[in-house]
Order: sequence, then structure tokens, then C-alpha cells
Amino acid sequence: MQAKVINANRHKKSNVLKRVISIRGMGQVISVTGAFIIMFLVFSQINGNFASGDNIFNLLRQIAPILIIGIGQSFVLITGGIDLSIGSVAGMSCMLSATLMTKYSMNPVTAILLTMICCIIVGFLNGFLVSKTKLPAFIATLGTMIIARGIAQLVNGNRNTDGISSSIFKDLFYYEKTAGVYNTIWLALILFLIFAFILSKTCAGRHTYAIGSNYEAAKLSGVNVALAEMRVYIFSAFLAGVVGLILTAQSGMGTMDAGNGYELNAVAASVIGGVSTMGGQGLLIGTVIGSCIWGVLENGLTFAGSPLALRNIVIGIVVIISVLIDRIARGNIGGVKKLFKGNHKTD
Amino acid sequence: MKFLKKALSLGLVGAMTLGIMAGCSNGGDKSKDVVSTVDAGSGEAYKVYLITMDQMDQHWVSVDEGAKAMAAALGSEIDYQWDAPDTKDNAKQIEKINNAVANGADLILLAANDPTAISDAIKNAKDKGVKIIYVDSGAKEEAITTLSTDNYNAGYTAGKTMLESIKNTSGSIGIIGVNTATNSTMSREDGFRKAIEDDGRFTLLTTEYKDGDAAASQEAALSFITAKNDLVGLYGTNEGSTTGVGNAIKASGKEIIGVGFDKSDSITGLLEDGSLVATMAQNPYTMGYLGMAQAYAALKDLQTGPAIIDTGVSVLKAEK
Repeated sequence: MQAKVINANRHKKSNVLKRVISIRGMGQVISVTGAFIIMFLVFSQINGNFASGDNIFNLLRQIAPILIIGIGQSFVLITGGIDLSIGSVAGMSCMLSATLMTKYSMNPVTAILLTMICCIIVGFLNGFLVSKTKLPAFIATLGTMIIARGIAQLVNGNRNTDGISSSIFKDLFYYEKTAGVYNTIWLALILFLIFAFILSKTCAGRHTYAIGSNYEAAKLSGVNVALAEMRVYIFSAFLAGVVGLILTAQSGMGTMDAGNGYELNAVAASVIGGVSTMGGQGLLIGTVIGSCIWGVLENGLTFAGSPLALRNIVIGIVVIISVLIDRIARGNIGGVKKLFKGNHKTD
Repeated sequence: MKFLKKALSLGLVGAMTLGIMAGCSNGGDKSKDVVSTVDAGSGEAYKVYLITMDQMDQHWVSVDEGAKAMAAALGSEIDYQWDAPDTKDNAKQIEKINNAVANGADLILLAANDPTAISDAIKNAKDKGVKIIYVDSGAKEEAITTLSTDNYNAGYTAGKTMLESIKNTSGSIGIIGVNTATNSTMSREDGFRKAIEDDGRFTLLTTEYKDGDAAASQEAALSFITAKNDLVGLYGTNEGSTTGVGNAIKASGKEIIGVGFDKSDSITGLLEDGSLVATMAQNPYTMGYLGMAQAYAALKDLQTGPAIIDTGVSVLKAEK
């Protein structure tokens, strides 16, 4: 009798661990976490300053915007789409909020509200184009990317804005710490928790995976596919808008170029973390690790005194390798498959 | 099969890590220096950073070369690092400054991307005890000293140089600018406009801004040439714009006076073959060289002299 009880308990424990590991996408998350830890240790060895308290918070604050925008891009990637407009939306958000606060002397709260509404409208437009008119996400978001950049340039008459006067705004989004941790980091953490909850524990989240895995099957099962698809683009634009506000606070003004290229950094962070560009798979915790790796590479290579030109090459190689890992794990490289399987059937 | 997949994934991760270590070890001697001077504060070696607007422009490469030469002359007392974003971007430059501060910089030689945007980050650095010297472009926040070209005067000189060479008594003049956000190039445009307006004989067209991209500048210049029959002169406000202007004049075969800014192999070639009449060559090497000397003086609490040092321009023309 006793032996049976003990066995049952042991079964329970390994079940939990097994369940965590068997969550789809967790394999890559674990691998890249390992890589991240190794990278971190290597960089700390090379330059003691890298692991100093000052730099850790510096590093986390650099990672925060990549993470926030990465979350949005991950949602879109999981549905099998891509959002190329997020960099421009961040720039548009930066210019809008700064222009409203300087040229129109609006108070920060109203400025933020209006800016976020505009960003959500862009997200809605993306979602509409992709889900209703069936335009490929690449094309639709490419168009909105150019439009949003144009709006960023138009809003203040093709000039960067004056400096914003609200130090509360600047401190809140970038410069100040709360409980010893930069506000930007708290912001990223809170947004991560909210969106991770949405993705893993709500119907909305399930539907996101569903339409990414098999659009037709989801539709036939009664999922409101149009809504599910539109939702992710709205999320993405919203988060890009938040990053725009951070950029405004960081420079204390609106820059028309802000956010340039962020969309691809977000894809890189997501992909490194195991979000598949083919849809249906990916965990936000992976995006966290992906953003951390991205940030650590940038920051760590600087601290290691690596020549400027080499850094881009190293970062690019890391991104490619991450995608390769994803492809191999999905068994999608024909040649490699044959190499290992030979003439036998699958395991 | 599944095990092999996992093994391959881990293998790739390992390759990733090795790649990174390769990237670091190429930092080679520099990283050794960094490690050994990490416990600075004993004043053994001062960590001096040069942070420029980007890594690619020949202008910044020259500043780095000058700074490096002086650092070498100063010997082991200076631990010199050059860092810059890969593209001109306020947020990226702010990150670079933050990184330098976190890495224990004692002094930063800074070419501020924007006088307002970078100011807060500079103030933060100063609050943490980092000394600041501006090279090429300053910001609103005060620094120990600034070494730069007086861009307005240089632009005025460029305008005068063009007026000397124009044979017509009337016509229009086109300007290919960089962007409305960069103060240095806007000052060059303003100085130039003043010279032409003071003269009064010629009409100034609306400036085309092409971000210093040589190809885009060339197209814009060509558009000016084809659109305006009475075009007598073209002006470029930085290296890329000037290259574009020169190439456009060459391609059109017309007698248009081209004047520009900065020096490069392409621009020297365009001067030689007559496509460009003159260029205002800045002295970025001197900015770096003297800037580093000033840095040493500041770190040693020696006199740094005037608040602004104009490193000037030379008017380069073709060898006759």
C-alpha cells in the first residue's frame, strides 16, 4: 500500500516537469536561455564592468523597448503574419506625442491618450486589410509602415520638435527609478505579464495560436477568425505606440526618424526566442529571452571592446542560427531530415 | 530522431556562443587593457570614449584617427575607445552614452547627434562624474570645451567661392541639403544663403533634403538641372550631398558651378575633372587630435583654454 502511494507522488512530480518541458516551444526557450546564461558569463569575464549593478540596470532599460515591441510582433507572428509597420508607428507615436506637448502645449496625459488612439487606428487598419481584404500581411503592413512614417514627418511640418517641457513625462517613461529599478523596466515587466496572461490563459490567446496553426480549421470550429486576426495587429500597434512614448521621453523631443528598423529587431527577438515565422508556435517568455540576448549582444560586445564592424556580423549570425534551430526543430530542412532519417520511417 | 534534433539545436547554440567569443577575442588587446584598468580610480589609466554620430562616415573615421594618434602619443595613461551607433539615431546614441558611463568612462569626446535630444543623457553622465568635451557638434548641456567647425561661416565662405566663379549675371542656384534636423548642415545652408542673398543677383531654389545619401542627392541635383534652364550653381552641404552634386554636373555636361563640403576620394576626383569647383574641407582629424589633448588636460585639471575652438575649413580647389 505504502509503496503504491510513494510511487504515485513521484509520478506527480515528474509529471509537472514533463508538462512544462512538453509545452510547445519550450524546448527552444530552454536552449536559448542556456545560451543567454553562457553569453552573460563570458561577457562578465571579459569586462568586470559588464556585470556591475549600474550596467545591469542600464542593460535592462535598453532591453525594455525591444521586449515591448517584440511582444506585439510575437502575437502577429504567431498568427502567421508579420507587422512591418511597428517601427514607423513608434516613430509616429514619438512625433505625435512630442508635437502635441510642444506645438499645441497639451498636457502629457491628453497627449498620450490622443497618440495611443492614433496608433490603435493604424493597428485597426492593418488588421482590417489583412483579415477582411485578405491582403498579405507583408504588403499591408509595408503600406502602413510608409504611411505612418509620412505622418511622423507631416505632424510637425517636416521638422523635429522642440524639447518637451514636462520632466514628469521624461522621468516616468525613461529617466527615473522606482524602488531602485528604472521605470522603463517596470513598464516592460507589467506589459509582459498582461500580454503573457492574455496569450496563455484566455480564449483570445488560444484563438491566436489557432488561426496561426490552421486558419481553416479554426474558422470551421467557430472561431471568429477576423476578430482574432484584427486583434493582434491592434495589440502590435498599441505596443509600438508605447515604445514611441519611451523614445519621446528618452530624447526629450520628437524625432522623425525614431524607431527606424525596430520592426526587424522585433522579429529577430521573437525568432531567437522560438516564435516561429510560420505561425502557430511561440511563447512570450521566449521573446523575453530573445530580447535579452539581443540586448546582451549589443551591450556586451561594446564592453568587450569588439571592433564596431564585427558586431553587426556577430549579431546577424546569431539571428540566422536561431532561425535554423527553429527550422530543424520543425523538421523542415529536407536534406537534414534525410541525413538523419535515412531510409527508415519517422520515429 | 527527436534526440538528434535536440542535439543539433544545442550544437547550434554552442556554435553561436563560440562565434560570440570569436567576436570578443578579436577585441584582443583592447579587452585585455579594459580588464586591467577596470579598477581605475587609482588614476592609473583614464578611460576616454569617443562617441560619434555613426560609424561609417569618413568624417568620423578621421576624428577617430586623430584621437587615436594623440592617445598613442599620450601612452598608457589613456585607454581609448571609439563607439558609435551604426546609423544616425538619437535613441541609439543615448544608449551608447549610457553604456560608456556604465563602463566607467572618465571622459567622453562627443559629437552630439542633436543639441536637445542628447542633453538629458549628457546631464546624467555629468552627474555621475564623467567629463564631457564636444567634437564637431555640441549640445545644450554645458561641456568643458567644444572643438568644431564654424559651420555658418564656412557656408558663407562657400557662397562667396561660388559667386567668384559664376560668369552669368543672373540665374538660379540649387541646394542639396542633408536634413532639417542636423544643426551643422543647416548652419552651412544658412551661411550659404546669406552670401547669395547679400549678393542679390541670383535666385535660391527650395532646398532638397536627401540625408547625405550620394545617389539620392545625385538624382535631386539632376532634377534641378533638367527642371531649371537658368541653373547656374549647385551646393551640397556634406560629403554625400556634394558627391551627388558633382556626379550630377558631370552627367549633365552643363556649365554649372558646383561647390560642396567635406573631402573624400570621390570629391577629390570630381574636383580634378572639373565637375566641382571647390569644396570646404573640415578638419576632423584635428578635432580628434586636439580633442584628445584637451581631454588629457581636463582629466589632469590643466587649463583647457577657450570654450569654443574653431577648427576651421580649407577651401580646396582643383590643382591648376
